[in-house]
Parts: sequence; structure tokens; C-alpha cells
Amino acid sequence: MSMNSPVTEQSLLIFAHQLTRIYPMGRTDVIGINRLDLQITTGEMVVLKGDSGSGKSTLLSLLAGLDRPTGGQLTVAGVDLAAATESVLTRYRRSVIGMVFQNFNLLPTLSVMENACLPALLAGLAHHQAMVRAEDLLRWLGLDHRKDHLPAQLSGGEMQRTAIARALINEPQIILADEPTGNLDSRSGETVIELLAELNRSRQRTVIIATHSNLADATATRLIRLKDGEITGLA
Amino acid sequence: MKPIVLFFRLFVWFSWRYFMKHRVRALIVIAGIALGASVFTSVRLSIHASLESFSRSIDLITGRSDAVLSLPGGRVPEDILPAILRQPQVRHASALMTTYVKTTGDDADSFLLIGFDPFSDRPFRRWQVQPTDLAQDSSWLGLITDPFTLLLSEALARRNGWQVGDKVTLVHDRENTVFRVLGVLKPEGLGLAEGGQVALTDMATFQEFSGLPGVVDRIDLMLTRAASDIDLEALRRQFADLLPPGVQITSPSGAKESGRTMIRAYQLNLSVLSFASLFVGMFLVYSLVALNAASRRHELAVMRATGASGNLIFVLFLAEGALLGAGGWLAAIPLSALVVKYMLHGVSQTISTLFVRVHVDTIILEPWELLLSFAVTVLISLLAALQPAREAMLVEAGEALTTSRLQRSRKDTIGKLAVVSLLLIAVAVPLSRLPGYAGIPLAGYVAILSLFAGFALLAPWSLQRFGAALSPKLHRLAGVPAYLAGRYVRDSGTRTAISVGALITAVSLFTALVIMIHSFRETVQLWVYQTVSGDLFATGKMSAVNQFRDSIPDRVREGLQQLTAPVEPVHSRRFVLKSGDFSYELDLLDLEAFLRYGQFIWVAGEPATVQPRLIDGEGVLISEVFANRTGLAVGDRYLAQVQQSVVDLPVLGIVRDYRTKGGVVFYDRSAFTRSYVDPSWSTVRLFFRERPENLETALAALRREIIDRCGSHLDLIAGEELRGAILRVFDETFAVTFVLLLIALSIAALGITTTLAVQVLERLTQFNTLVAVGAAVRQIRATVFWEALLLIVAGEIAGLLCGFMLSYLLIFVVNVQSFGWTFIYSVNWKALAASLPLIVGTALLAALPAIRLIFKQPPAMLLRDR
Repeated sequence: MSMNSPVTEQSLLIFAHQLTRIYPMGRTDVIGINRLDLQITTGEMVVLKGDSGSGKSTLLSLLAGLDRPTGGQLTVAGVDLAAATESVLTRYRRSVIGMVFQNFNLLPTLSVMENACLPALLAGLAHHQAMVRAEDLLRWLGLDHRKDHLPAQLSGGEMQRTAIARALINEPQIILADEPTGNLDSRSGETVIELLAELNRSRQRTVIIATHSNLADATATRLIRLKDGEITGLA
Repeated sequence: MKPIVLFFRLFVWFSWRYFMKHRVRALIVIAGIALGASVFTSVRLSIHASLESFSRSIDLITGRSDAVLSLPGGRVPEDILPAILRQPQVRHASALMTTYVKTTGDDADSFLLIGFDPFSDRPFRRWQVQPTDLAQDSSWLGLITDPFTLLLSEALARRNGWQVGDKVTLVHDRENTVFRVLGVLKPEGLGLAEGGQVALTDMATFQEFSGLPGVVDRIDLMLTRAASDIDLEALRRQFADLLPPGVQITSPSGAKESGRTMIRAYQLNLSVLSFASLFVGMFLVYSLVALNAASRRHELAVMRATGASGNLIFVLFLAEGALLGAGGWLAAIPLSALVVKYMLHGVSQTISTLFVRVHVDTIILEPWELLLSFAVTVLISLLAALQPAREAMLVEAGEALTTSRLQRSRKDTIGKLAVVSLLLIAVAVPLSRLPGYAGIPLAGYVAILSLFAGFALLAPWSLQRFGAALSPKLHRLAGVPAYLAGRYVRDSGTRTAISVGALITAVSLFTALVIMIHSFRETVQLWVYQTVSGDLFATGKMSAVNQFRDSIPDRVREGLQQLTAPVEPVHSRRFVLKSGDFSYELDLLDLEAFLRYGQFIWVAGEPATVQPRLIDGEGVLISEVFANRTGLAVGDRYLAQVQQSVVDLPVLGIVRDYRTKGGVVFYDRSAFTRSYVDPSWSTVRLFFRERPENLETALAALRREIIDRCGSHLDLIAGEELRGAILRVFDETFAVTFVLLLIALSIAALGITTTLAVQVLERLTQFNTLVAVGAAVRQIRATVFWEALLLIVAGEIAGLLCGFMLSYLLIFVVNVQSFGWTFIYSVNWKALAASLPLIVGTALLAALPAIRLIFKQPPAMLLRDR
């Protein structure tokens, strides 16, 4: 869906108006995001592009509820993230968001299966139900034969696919991926992008990817270019 | 020179700046080491001060004598002095008598009264009168011309506010006598003996005051230059015809050496106990240096890539350990100044109670002691840094890129450590069976160290099993946070687990000491109620402090024999004798009457068959301490010189007794009178023939009757009161031990704080990932709380296990070899059940700072990480 498509109230998933995030650094302020306006609807696959320090990660942090705006308005899936309490943010991260990181951030002491189950368990799902969900996801991601392995025993691609399984376990509306191919070889990177695109296409997940690479460009429904915390281009 | 400069430059760049960056962690570790070092230093300095005070006092009283004439269990006839002085080998001879006296008043402190001949004593001992308006240098002549006059030490005069010319009433077992103060001694020589609590009087006055005319405690000899080369054995042969039966020639250093040996044994025991605090601190150093090594692998790899050798890295990390040790030692100096004040009092009191009287009021800053504490502190810090330094030197350039190798090597290490730890635990058993050397249980101490090290090194393997077994159960019981904690504990690895060793060591020490002290107290209590039985004890005034040397005066004895109260008396007479280099007591008592009301706690021998033989005087009963010190067993013969008699009797049984370090030999008083001499009696314990309805009223009536018949020449103490006093002294003796224990536990708590804080700081990314995948703040806090709980509980279980083993070593190895006694093994389950949860609680409190660190960085750092 492009910016020119009509946006209905039901399909609007992310709404940002004059969104600002300033980091005080001693006596000076560093601008992370500057008066940004953005609307994303359900089912979009958005690629955020820009150089280091352009504001991609800051925007993802704000969308993930890991950080709070210092100005403006940010509503995601009906949750006002600027005003949300900590417990609301926790529920939001459990049910609305699934995160994929460049460094995978798998817990080293948990197996593939346990890492995938973790968010469901934290959300209060019964262990056996979480296992069933994780089994399905790992099978879909081609990891069922690795489910009892520890992260240290996996390749980079396998680690990232485990991270995707973990991101999907609570069936979130939005997948946020921060440089998901940054630590992968090109073949594994392509596989991961294909998986995210597949999620977007067949499971109607809204996917937002922050990346330097062009791997995801072809699959994106929208490309947003950021510079100094502002949107400088759309495609 | 150049490599050294380079090393220090690198140390500043690499280590010092890192310490500065993480100074709170470093300061906590330094505080832990400082606590341990201050305890170690204070204990050593306090005992050293007692040791020096004792030696100085003995030296001042012994003076320049080359040999001493004395009679075991009795006194030397004064009239042999002229004959002694006529011997060509003898240049000077001086008779001496000593006794502890006090002034009237219940709270007055006792001091030493020395009786001597001021003329003949001049060559032996240094003392001088302070010239004042009322006294001149020559005032001491008045000691001879004016009976019942005194010279006081300056400290004694100051403490009591006495001045020249004042009248002072002194208490002895015969009479309360008024003395006049003739002068005050200069603070030198004899004036400093007994910590300055001393007074001098003329021999004739002393003999009249103590009711001992014609005898002296000892005669000091100064030999001619040629004779001083003769050994004592040769001198004994030469004097054989001259000396009355039983009088012995001994070395003046004998008493000093025997006292010093006892104090040294105590010093070693307390040093080992205080070393435990330093040992616990060692885990803190390990924890921090290991963290530095682990968290800086990338930097290490870069250093290696830029040309640093493995050895350089090794030495850098060792230097970090040494820096922490040296810093801890420096910080310990002001801390020691505070701790030593308490220690000095506690330690000198314990030494006075258990071994020899000491008066200590000043600490001597002995350079060797300071150097020793510095060397021990830095050495243990270096040892603690050894293994992390070895790991650091093995880091290769580029190793940071591979994680799998790290995982594998860690598993290997855990396996190897488990094998080493089991070997260390196993080796403690044969070590504990080795005999002690000169009363020092060296092998026992090594066994204890081996046990501590073994259990600490077993921690990684135990935690792996503990975490693996518990995490599924915890998941069901307490949800995801507990499950995650269990999994973390399972995979926590060597560094975290060995840090738990601090807790294991402290808890095991706590458990072992609680068991040992409880067993000791229970046994002593049993002994007190069975062997120190009696409803009222009557002894001569100042008799106890003078080791019951003198019998009760005839007049008083007659009064006691005419009592009409329904009581049965058990008379006893004690002699302090020497066996080899140690003193013990020969206790002669009316065994038939005693065994009707009280009993012994038997270690060897069959009471039913032995008791009748004992009453008939067929043999002696020896205490466990005496048996262990002399090697005598049932059936062996006990041989001793008591006054003019040689006692030679079979040992019929061995019993427990805790009154002196040298032990006791019991024999029937009537049998002794029949076979040797009438020893008279110095103590009588009175038993009511039938239990009175109101014991207090009956005791009060009995006291009144005794005072009516005997006057106020006796110290009367109710049995309950005496037994309570013995137990109170026992408790006070262990006060120092408990302080040392609390400090060890505090250091272990610091260890928990550091370990958990480090764990949290290392895993901030993991915690933020948990936030990102939906964990609530309380869930993450709960995870860390559960981790802390699991580590603490695991540490406590291992510590408990180690503590039980350690308690066996302490009771059946260290105590036997150090003091010669054992106790009936008894576990204070109530105290353990009450205090162990308290330790868990305290340790959890120590974990709070770590929990506060979890959200030190915002979760958004996950995305800014790169």
C-alpha cells in the first residue's frame, strides 16, 4: 500500500504526528527523530533506509515501545505510546510487536525451542500451548531438526530464523526488524528477507525493516528514506 | 629497566584506567580484602602484644637468674640459703615469694605482691624508688626496718589513687593486713612487671602476712661465669647432697617457654580462623579479575594482535590481583586501628582465662607482623588472580569472533574442576589423620584448607546439576522467571560458580563453628553439672587466683568441721605440677563422698569396676587432656614428684575435664594421706544430704553458719553461681570467634553483591531483549531474584555439607592436637535452622544492589548497540 492509497480508520495501524525524540547529551541535545509525520496501514511492508545516525533505529525503538517520544504523537494499534504506562507498554510489546535484531539477541542458555517459546510463556500462555505454536513456527522456518540446540551451535542464518520464530510466537500485528541481514552472509540474508516478505504476504503481518542493504527493496510496499531524523524520501 | 617501564605504562593504560572506570566494583572488593586483612592483622597484633607482655613480665620477675630452686607442689625451706651461697658455683642467691592480693571491696582488681630481700635481690632485678617530698632514693631501706610497708608500681598507685604514706588493707587467705605505702617505683624494671600491677615488700613481712614462715616459693641463683656454662643436669648432681628431698633445679626460662608455647598455639588457632576472612576475600579478587578477563576478551585479542605476549597479559592480570591485595591491605590499616581495640581486650582476657595471666594495655607495632599481613594479603590476592590470568593469556587474536570454542572449553574446565575438587575433598581425610607437630595441628589445617578449596571448586559442577534438576520444577512452581533463573544457574560457568565459593566457605565456617561451640558447650555443661557438682564451694581468700596453692588455715578448717547444717563435705587439695614443659593439676579429693553426689564423664575405663578401685586409692584417673599431652593410657603408670614424695600409680581411667590446658590427675585424698603425706585441703564443696525445699534459704543459712564459725576468711560461692560463672567465661572466650565469623560472613555478603552485580552488568543486553520480547519489569527483577536465591541456596547447601565435615575436623583433629580435648558431638539444629534462613535473607539483601542495576541502560540500547 502506498502513501497515495486512501487510509481508512480501521486499516491505520501506525500514526505518528510531529514525532520527536531528543537525547540530551551533556549540555547539547542530539536529535534522534525530528517532527516526523508517518502513517502505516495494516499489511504494509515498509523498508526504512538511511545512513548511520539517520534515525532508523530510534524510530524502531519508539515503535517497539522500548523508548518514549520527547514530543509529538505516536499511536500504534490504538495504543498511545507517548502516554502509555509501563504495564501497558509491556502488554503492547507482548501482543502487538515482534522484534528481530541484527545481533539476534538469543538467550545463550536457552535452546532454539525455548528461545522461541519464551515470549509466549512471558505472556502467560501454557507451556504445552507455547510448544505447539513454536513447533509449527520452527517447522515452517526449517528449524525443527535444530530445536534442541543452543544458539552457539547454530549458523547465523539459523539464529536469525530462530529470532523470527520468537518474534512470531505471540502472533503480533507488527514485525520490527533492525538490520536483520547485517550479520548474515548474502544467501542467508536473502532467505531471511524472503521469510519476512512471506510473513507479510501470506500471514498479513505488517513488517517494518530498518536496513542499509538493498536486499529488501524489491519486496517492500514502501521505502522510507531518513536523514537527520526526518523523512527525506518515499518510494 | 625499559621492560619494567613498559610494563607499568601498559598497566596504567590497560588495568588502572579500567579499575578507575569501574571503581565501585574495585572498591567493594578492596573493602572485602580490607576487612579480612584488618581482622588478620588485629588478631596477630593483639596476641603478639599479649605474648610480649607475658614474656616481658616473666623476664622482669626472673631478672638475671641462671637457675631456680623450687619444690613441685610445695615451697623451699629458707634455711638452705646460706649453704647455697657458700657453693663456689653460686655468685648470688635471692629468695622470692609471690602471691596475688587485692584490697578490700568486691570490685577491687588483684595485683601481684612480691616478697624479697631488697639487699640480696639487687644483682637480680632492676627497680628504683621515685624521689618525692616524702620519699628518697633510699626509702626502700624502710621495707626492712618497718614491717608491713610496700613499694608500689606507678601504674598501681595511679589506678588506686594511692600516695606515699597512705594505709592500704590487703586481703589474703589468713588475715586482712594493713600496709603503709613507703614509696612509688619508677616505671622501669620490676615496676613494669604484670603490666605495672605490682607491689614489693620485704620477705619477712610477706611470710608473716601469708602465714608461711621459714619457706619461700623459690630461690634464684646467679652462677659464676664458669658455672653458668655447666648444664643444669651437672648442677643438679653437684647440689644433690645439699638440697632437701624434692627440691629441683630448673631453668628460669622454663615457665616463660611453657607460657609462650601455649599462647603461640592459641595465636596459630586464631590466626587460622582470622585467615578464613582473608580466604573468603580471595573469592572477591577472583571474581573481579575473572570478570575483567572475561569482559575484555576483545581488548585482549587486540593486544595480542598488536604484539603483546601471553606472558605479558598473564603478568598484567596478576598485577591487577596484587593491586587489589595491596589496596585492601592499605585500607586495612585504619580499619585495624578500630578492630584491634576490641580484639586486644577479648584476646588478652581469653589468654588470661585459658593459659596465663596477662596485662596488656598497649599494642606494639611490630614491623614483622605488618610485613607478614602485607605478604599474606598480597599473596592470597595473587593466588586468586592466577587462574583468570592464565585464561587471559590464552586468548588469541581474533578469538572474540568464535563463541563455540569458549563454550566447549568452559565445559571441559567444569569437568576438570570437579575431578580436582573431589580429590581435594578426599585428601582431607588422610591429612586429618596425620599427627600434629609441637601441639600445632598443621596437617589438620591443611585438611581444612583442602576441604574449603574442594567445595569451592566443586561449585560449578554442582550448580550445573542443581540448575538442570530444578529449572523444570521451578517452571511449574514459580513460572518463567524462576525457570530462566534455573537455566542461568545451570549454565553460569566457572567464574560465577567459584564466586559462590565465598559463600560456601563462610557458611561452612559458620556451620562448623556453631556445631563445635555447641558440642563444646553442651559437653562443658554436662561436665560442670556432673563433675563441678556441689551446693556450696568454700575456698581461701584469693585462693583461686593463686591456683589453690595454699591449704585453708587450721582455725578456719576446724570451724568448717564443726558445721551443724545437714551437709556432706568433699575436701580437695590441688597441686600445680609440671610434666615436661607444661603444667597440670593434681586434684586430691574425697572420692567416695564425691562419687555419691557427682560423677565424671568417662572417656576410657569402666566406671562400675574402676570407681571402687579409685576410692581404695589403687590408681589415678587422668583427664583426656593430660592423656593426650603425655600419651598415657589406661594401664600405664603415672609418675610425679609431689613435695618430698614420688607418686607412682597406675592409670585406671580417662575422663573429660576442661579446667586447664595442661589437664588434671585425680586421686583419692585419704589414700594420698596414707601413702605419702597429709596434703590438708584448700577447697571444700558441701552437698546437702537431702535436697532442701528452698535451696536459697538453706544456702543463706549455711553461709551464715560458716561465717559465724570461720569469720570472713573464705570465699563462698554457691554451686549454681560457680557453674554459671564457668559457662559465662566459656561464652566470653568464644566472643572473639563469633566476631571473626561475622566478619567472614560480611565479606561473603560483599561477594554476593559483587558477583550478582557483575552478572547483571554482563547481561544487560539479555535483560533488554527480554523486555523487547514482552517481559515485564517485575518478571525480569524476579528472574534476577530467583538467580540470587538459587545461587545462595546452592551455596548454603554446599556450605552446610562442608561445614559438617569441617566440624568433625575441628572437634576430633584440631581441638585434640591443639588443646588435647574432644567433645561429645552434638548439632544445634535449632540455631542452624534459625540462622541459615537469616544468612539467606542477608545474602538476598546483598543482592538488592544488583537487582537495581538491571535497568541501568534503557532497552532501546539494543538497537543502538551496533
